[in-house]
Parts: sequence; structure tokens; C-alpha cells
Amino acid sequence: MSEEIPDRESIDRIGEEASRDITEASELETLERARIVWLGRKGRLTSALRSIGKLPEDQRPVVGGMINEWKEKLGVLFDNRCAELSGSCREEEPCPGDATLPGRRNWEGGLHILHRVIRNIKEIFYRMGYSIVEGPDVELDYYNFEALNFPADHPSRDLQDTFYVNRDILLRTQTSPVQVRFMEKNEPPLRIISPGRVYRNETPDPSHAAEFFQIEGLYVDKNVSLADLLNDITWFIHQFFGPDARVRFRPHFFPFTEPRAEVDMTCFGCKGEGCSICQKTGWIEIMGAGMVHPNVFKCAGYNPDSVTGFAFGMGIERIAMLKYGVDDIRRFLGNDMRFLEQFWNKTWVGVQE
Amino acid sequence: MGGGAGVKVSLNWLKRYVDIEEDPATLAHDLTMFGLNVESVEVCGGEYTDVVFGRVLECGRHPDADKLSVCTVDAGTGTPLNIVCGAPNVRAGLSVAVAVQGAVLKGGFKIKKTKLRGVVSEGMICSEIELGIGDDAGGIIELDMELEPGASLDGRLGSSDVILDIEVTPNRPDQLSHFGIAREIAALYMRELREPELFDLETGYDFPIETEDDSDCSRYSAAFVGDINIGPSPKWMRDLLISAGVKPIYNIVDVTNFVLLEMGQPLHAFDRDKLGRDGIFIRRGRSGESMYTLDDIEREVGEDVLLITDGETPVGVAGVMGGRDSEITGSTKRVLIESAWFDPRAVRRSSRELKLDTEASYRFEREGDPGITVRALMRVCRLIADIGAGKPEKLHADYLADRELIEPRTITLRTKQANRLIGTRLGADDLVELLSRLQLISVEDGKDINVTVPTFRRDITEEVDLIEEVARLYGYENIGREEGRCSSLFSEVSIVDMRNEELCDRLAARGFAEVITTSFMDPGDPGSFEWGESDPRSRHVEISNPLTVAQSALRTSLLPGMLRVIRRNAPVERDGIRIFELAKVFLQREEGRGLPREELHLTALFTRRSAPLQWHGEQRDFDFFDMTGEAESVLEWLGATKDLVMERIKASEPDFLFEWILKNRPAGNCGMIPGRVLARFDIDTRVYYFDLLIDVFPPGRSGRKSYIRISQYPAVKRDLSVLAPERVTFSDVRNVVKKRAKHLESVRLFDYYRGDRLGERKRSYAFRMTFRSMEGTLDDETVDRTIDKVLAALQNELQVTLRSE
Ligand SMILES: [Zn+2]
Repeated sequence: MSEEIPDRESIDRIGEEASRDITEASELETLERARIVWLGRKGRLTSALRSIGKLPEDQRPVVGGMINEWKEKLGVLFDNRCAELSGSCREEEPCPGDATLPGRRNWEGGLHILHRVIRNIKEIFYRMGYSIVEGPDVELDYYNFEALNFPADHPSRDLQDTFYVNRDILLRTQTSPVQVRFMEKNEPPLRIISPGRVYRNETPDPSHAAEFFQIEGLYVDKNVSLADLLNDITWFIHQFFGPDARVRFRPHFFPFTEPRAEVDMTCFGCKGEGCSICQKTGWIEIMGAGMVHPNVFKCAGYNPDSVTGFAFGMGIERIAMLKYGVDDIRRFLGNDMRFLEQFWNKTWVGVQE
Repeated sequence: MGGGAGVKVSLNWLKRYVDIEEDPATLAHDLTMFGLNVESVEVCGGEYTDVVFGRVLECGRHPDADKLSVCTVDAGTGTPLNIVCGAPNVRAGLSVAVAVQGAVLKGGFKIKKTKLRGVVSEGMICSEIELGIGDDAGGIIELDMELEPGASLDGRLGSSDVILDIEVTPNRPDQLSHFGIAREIAALYMRELREPELFDLETGYDFPIETEDDSDCSRYSAAFVGDINIGPSPKWMRDLLISAGVKPIYNIVDVTNFVLLEMGQPLHAFDRDKLGRDGIFIRRGRSGESMYTLDDIEREVGEDVLLITDGETPVGVAGVMGGRDSEITGSTKRVLIESAWFDPRAVRRSSRELKLDTEASYRFEREGDPGITVRALMRVCRLIADIGAGKPEKLHADYLADRELIEPRTITLRTKQANRLIGTRLGADDLVELLSRLQLISVEDGKDINVTVPTFRRDITEEVDLIEEVARLYGYENIGREEGRCSSLFSEVSIVDMRNEELCDRLAARGFAEVITTSFMDPGDPGSFEWGESDPRSRHVEISNPLTVAQSALRTSLLPGMLRVIRRNAPVERDGIRIFELAKVFLQREEGRGLPREELHLTALFTRRSAPLQWHGEQRDFDFFDMTGEAESVLEWLGATKDLVMERIKASEPDFLFEWILKNRPAGNCGMIPGRVLARFDIDTRVYYFDLLIDVFPPGRSGRKSYIRISQYPAVKRDLSVLAPERVTFSDVRNVVKKRAKHLESVRLFDYYRGDRLGERKRSYAFRMTFRSMEGTLDDETVDRTIDKVLAALQNELQVTLRSE
């Protein structure tokens, strides 16, 4: 093969000839031959590129660029023809006849609704200054009960039917043990939330599950008061459920806090008018809260006279059930695809309008 | 966080001790906000507008039902009504209460015209139960009054009352009585509280009371009543008992129940003449001992059961239930009424041991008021005297092991601490005033106050308990919320949490459905998966009190639960299921002691088709490399591919299972779940999976610290087709290429072939290499030289040759 000195015209000529060869190749073998002739290591374009040095210096970049462009273009042509001849692809126009045919899709996926709710709640508290801390599901009796002011052999333990591994080891019935563990290792001030799975030895029915998710929060500092607790909770509820939700606090009992408050908010179903969801009261219980009991501080090694703090906790399934009208708590761990995929849509999260 | 059990209180009853003007709904709301959660308000008795006086004219058999009668009843409606009635006592001529069409009876039951076994019924002849005025379901009410048929019976039947069902938390046993609730109402509305009238008892009755162990029973008081006259209680008492849900029996039993519900103190009446020896001895049961309780059941009463005995024979289970053999009967002449304070733990143990929960045990377990025992006797004696059920002795007996038990406590409440905890600015005088409303009497002591706590509030043991009462009395709704708190305490970033959240997002975006499965598994699951003894997944944690056997182990892998999700979704008939879960598994430690190891896993399962059914091209089955593709993407994202090695799990022959090793640590495994395993889960499609131990991968930005500059020069692409011996994997080839090829940007395999055409034990790989330099446009000679080096290295190191055709 004689080495011609490439100029623009000859390059284009070579390119057009090569294009013809490639597009007109009727079988894979002729196509491969064309590739070797035009694009191969000793092919005509390649040799043209090699002899570029013989050109005047100012023309080299232009001609070099042209050669590369042709190589690129021919490569695409070759690939397409190759695919056509292999029969794996059909003749294509941009949209064959009907643009309303469904587009090519892959599988759709999404997060579990409980995960989305937990994430939402976590994010709100995170922005409020709470850090995220987790702990073990299988706990020592000490952390789950004793350190939280539930004495042994006391009826307050009846509130939470417990799965035991043995005398000292159990499945946590609340995420509060995380708080005790955290306090043991850290000095105040501290502000944390702990999401996680908890377990109760209850026969499952539409409103009770033997395992469910909880988020608990804790804030300990020098002068944290009940008023601060009411502030934070109200802020959270307005962020999560929207500014129209009304919140009320009433006295209640949880062993590890005192004074304590049960938190109610206006019913989602009726906006406070009274309906079957709220048993006609217009209010629904959303979480429990209170000031950390001095005994809990003592167990953590804090001096109850120098620090105060509050804690609160809520059940995630309950919130999700109320928010989305889910009628059976067992749906969540049932994982029926038809249930799960309902919540993948963007509109299922965020603040309630 | 849960609540407690409920107590049913009658509004009529409450009104004996405190004035209540509020309507029931307002009262319920106010009590709820005061911490006594009213769960329901039920109006009962008396207020039935469509219940009228009627007379049964005729009464005959139902043609198709033996137990039903068909009556014609004159209910003042002109034509007599045809009513089907099931009561045994219905007969012609009887005066009855008829619920006509439109009446709404107890529980919202609405009367409509219906057909009963083919016969039309136009109303209902009522029993006490249906009207909520009694508990006699045995037959219809036989009225002994004379009225015009059709006259309304509103207000003429029973008493109208309102029943509040109040949730009482375990710390407040003082609220388990009408007087206790009335005390709260008086505090809430700042009203006067009227004490019940008492009989004047004096101590000194000569009667032996002894205990084996004072810590089981610190106080035992007894009153004595002679001239017992068994008969029904007066109507007012029966009505109140019924309202509170207790069935009236006869006077002596009714008065003890009445005092229980009134003051919260459980009492028990023994037939004194049936006590073998005239004395009381409280002791634990002996092994092998048994007795008959009031419910006529013979029970073993061993060492965990606390007994009341007459010195020898057990006559009752302390705080739980009396004995059958000392029960009051129609012929009882003298009774001993017990009013005691047993150790809450002892009662709890007995009750658990015998599996017997009673109104009495419920209250004793919650540590009632040790100071009330004699007052309760004074009250019951007064009632007995008033209703003529017997003649109380003037003297009573009282065993008290520890005087301190009934001494009121004094607790100091620091004003500053109260304000600090609640967020108020109250003065000491405000605190005194607030607490006095709950009969907590206090005196100021400088800036602080000293509070005397009566014995009925045994839950108040320290300052913080008083602070809670202050907050409650002050009102949560009055606690100021205007002060914004500005704290310098900020959130800490949790890298692990962020990584996990992003990881889940990534999988969701790649078309995976996230599932959340149970933490429990079947203890047989490791066997179903054929995990060997040495596999940590076969060492599970056992639950000692599981719900079912299938939930009696904690999962050691997410696979069993996720396979069940696939099984459960089989009827949904999707063409493909791709699920993942990021969750903990629980592995028993080698030594089998202490808390188990909790390991975070990311597990994904795939089944059926590789892509959804659609009109573009053929659908194909999901295969091994679809799975590894997904896994590689996750692993790359986790930033660990460089040090990761994938090996076939040797033990898994002939199955197709592989393991990832990261710096000598297992990092996960993947493969196709063997068909025989799937069969045990009743799955008949192929299932691929990968399972990663997320904790093994560093969560932070541990990879590259700075970015790589991007070249502005064009790339050169070269394809190579090589022939490799069977033992050489593509990853071997790629590693050599990467090592030898300068300026290499990427290597992509585009063809792989293994078969006869190549000769024995040979494979061919065709791959495209892309070269690019930072310094300038690469020329062909340079790339050619590189290719030659690569080929030489492949030949030398792996015996891989260029495929020549
Ligand atoms: Zn409602």
C-alpha cells in the first residue's frame, strides 16, 4: 500500500468509501474484512494518521482531528452494522410508529414504609440537635428494667410482657436501655435519639405485634425542664404532622420518668371532631414522655441534683398506622409486595398537609 | 410504654363523697387531663325512651324452635305486637318491659322488626341484662307495677347511672376505689370531700393473731360480728354494686365487696365457727399441702403460697382468695372479718403460682394502704349494723408488726428544684396550697417546704414524686412554653447511620424492594439450610418463653425470613422479585454466655425474570451474573473491591455458593440457593442471593483521599481476543493486564466462550481496553508496544495466548 500524503479531500474520500463498505456489508465476514481494511492496525485510516508528520505543521491538527472523527464515526457504523447483522437489533427509527408505547423500564424498588417513617422522624430530631445512637436488641435485664427504675417483682413490669433468653438476658421491651448505656459512657450535656426494634411477648392481633419499632429520645443538661420537653415535642409534632396538629399533654405513668406526660394530638381521621379511630375523643395518644427519674440518673452515675433531663418515646408502627390508615399492624412485617409498593411513591412521606 | 388496667366507677357512687355538677363528658375530659385516663363513659339503666309497659296477652310455642315462644303483647300500640321471646318465664298475663321498634338498648343494640326462625317479631321483652339494670339473664323482668300499656318506663326501672372506665397505672393503687377517685375529683375541682360514716371500733379484742414471718404480713386486723342475719342487701347497695360490675350475692358478702370498691381495701369474711381453732396464723404453704378455695377447686399450696390458717388448717390464700370450708353460708352465726396488709411480692408470688388473679390480689400486689385496715373494718361494721346484717363487737383485734408502716412520711420539697424541673416560677406558699388539695399537708421551712405524706400515698417516697403532683395540680396546659431554649448542643454526625441510609437508597433506586422481616426464626431453619456445626449460623439464641416453636430462636441469618417473604408473595405472581433487607442477626458466642454477637447484614434475594415483561425484546430468567452484577455494584460503592477476593465455598459442593474475603475476614457470600433447600420452604423457582456483613466494610471515607485529574486527550481503544487454559479465570487475566498496561483506563470483557471448538479445557476471552494518557494524545506505536508487553506477560504468567484467526 502506497503511502499517500493525506489532505482533507483524500481523508473524506477514504471515510466515505469506508462508510459504504461497512454499511453495504451483507454478512459478518465481509464486515470484518472491511474493518480490517479501513480501521485495522494497518488499515488505511491508521496509516493516514501515521503519515501526518509529512504535512506542514499548521495542517497537522486539522487533518489529525478529521482522521479521528472518521475513525469514531466508522466505529459507530461498524458496531451498528455488526449488531444488525447479528440479528439482535431491529431496524430502528426514533420512535417506531407509536410514541405512546411504554418506555423501556427496569424494576422499580423502594424503601419499606417503616423505614421511611423512621427516617423522617430521625431527620427532624437530628435537625433539632439530637444525635443518633443505637444499641443491642438482646439486652441484660439490668439495662432494660433495673437501671430504668423497674424493680424486680413489681407490677410495673407487667406493663411489658417480656421474652427471656434466661434469667438475666432478654429481648429489650423498649429502646431506653440504649440511653442508660449511653449515659454510662458519656457525661452530660447530651441529646440523643435511639431508633430500633423492640419485643413484647404478646399474641399478635390487628393492633398488637410481638416485635415493633420505637424511637426514644433523651436530653440531659443542667436545667432541662418539663417546659422544655413540651416545647421539643410540640415542635416535632408540628414538623412531622403539619402545623395544624394540636398537641396536649396529660399526666401518666412510666417508671423511668417523673413527672411524666402522655402526649396526645388531634386525630388524623377527624381533625378533632371525634371518629372511630380516636374512639370519639378527637385525640389520639402519640407518645409517652417525662422527666428522667433520679434513680435512673443514679444508675448512670450522674448526680440527680446537678443535672435534669427528659425522655420520650413513640411506637413507629402506631404512627404509621394512624398516618396512613393501616388497619392491621401485622401488615408491616408481612411484606406483601402489594402493600410495600404502595408506599414507594414520593407522596407518601413528608409532612402531612 | 403502656398503661395499666382499668377500674369501673359509678358516678352515683362518687357523688356520695364529692359534689359533681359537670356532665359526664366534661368530667371524663378533666379527669383525663388530670392523669386519670378515662377510657370510656357508659350511660346505663333507666334512660330508655322506647321501653314501655306491656302485658302478655297470649303465649304459644314457636313452630320451629323448642326454646322460643311466640307472644302477642299489648304495648299500647293499638294492634297487639307479635313478639318472639326466648325466656323460660314468659307466660300469658305477665306485666313486662317491652322494647318497641326504635329502642336502643345497652351496648347500642337497636330494636327492629325481624324474623326469628320464620316468625315475625316486632319488639323485645326485656331482661335486666338488656336494660343494664341487673345481671339476671335467666328470664324477663316480671313487673309488679300497674301502668297503662304503652306507658314509658323511663326512670321507673333500676337506677340510671354513668360508668366511667378509668385506666389506673400501677403506681396509684389509691385510685382503685370510689373514694380514691372522689379524692382526686375533689382536688381537681377544689371541692369538699365527704368521708364515709364509720362504726366506733376500739382495739383490745382478745384473739390470737400470729405470723410465721413478719415480712410476709406486716398488719392483720380483724373485726368480729355476731347475730348474723343472712339476707339480700338493700336495693341502693345492690344498684351500686351492679353499676360497678359486681354481682350482689347476700348482705355479708355484699358489704365486704362494697367496702373493697369504696375504700380499695380487700376484706374477707370467715365463718368463725368453722375455724377449727379460734385464732389466725399466717404462714407459707408446705410442700404437698393443698386446700379448696372458694371457687371449689382443690389447689396445691406450696412454699410460694402465703396462707391464712386457723393455726393448723389453711382457711384462705392470703390476699388472693378465701377457702371453701370457712365460707359464709345461710346458717352462719358469727363471722370474722379480715382486713390485712400483705407483702405485695408475697401476694404476687401466690397469685402467679396458683394462676389466680382476683380483685383482692390485684390491689395487694400494687401495695395498698397499710394505714386503712382498721378504718375499713369500722366502715364494714357500720354498714353491717345499718343494714341489719349482724351485730358488730365493740372491740377489734389488730396485729401490727411494724409501727413505722403506718406512720406518715415527711419529705422535703425544694422550691427551686420543683421550678427547675417543671419550668415554673412558683413560691413555697403556692406549693403548700397546691399540695393541700391532695391532702398532702405541708409547712414552709424557709424557701422549702416539709410535706407530710399520708399512708394512702405510698407511691410518694421522694421529692420528685411530690414535684410530679405539683406539676399535675398546676396543670400541664399552664406550663409556659413561650421561652425558647437556645442550646449550644448540636447533633453529631453518625457516619455509620449515614452510610446505611444511603446504601438502602441505592438499592431502592436499583429496583429492590426493601423488606423488614421478623427477628425470630424457626430453630429448624439452620438444618433446612444445611449449615454445618461449625457454621456460626447454626448457633442460635433460644427464647425461653416463645410465642410458638417457629418463633423460638433469634435469626442467625436474614435468609430464612426473606425466603418466607418470597414464598408468601408467590400468589402475587410477579414476574420477578428483588428484595433486600439491612438488619441484625444474632449469633451465640462460642462460650455460649453473655449477650450474643449482633451482626448487621445486607441480604438480597432475586427470583424469576431479569427484567419486567415488556414489548422490547425477549424476557429471560435471572441468572448468576445478574446477581453478581448487583453485588459488584454494592461492593464497589462500599469501596472495598480492591482487597476483596471471591472464592467458591468448598464445603458447598455440588452447590453454587461463593464467599467474599476482605483482608482475611469473611465479608459475605452469594450464590444460588440449592433447590432442595428451596423445596423445604415450598418454593419452586430459582432463587439467587447475596449476603454481606456490612460491619466488615469501613463506614467512612476510607478510600481515596483526593480526586484523580481528568485527562483532556482522546482515548485509544483496542480489542484483544485471547485463549486461556481452563484454570485461568478472567480475573487473573484482568489483573495481569492491569499490571502491565500503561495508560490503561478500563478493561471490559465483551465476549466469553468455552466449548469444543477451542479444544480441550480452553476458554476464550475478548475484551476491549481503553488507553488514555494525562500527558498527550497516545500514538499507535506506544499502544502497540503496550499491547505487546501485555501479551507477553499473559503468555509468560498464565499461558494465555492471542487467539489467531
Ligand atoms: Zn378521630
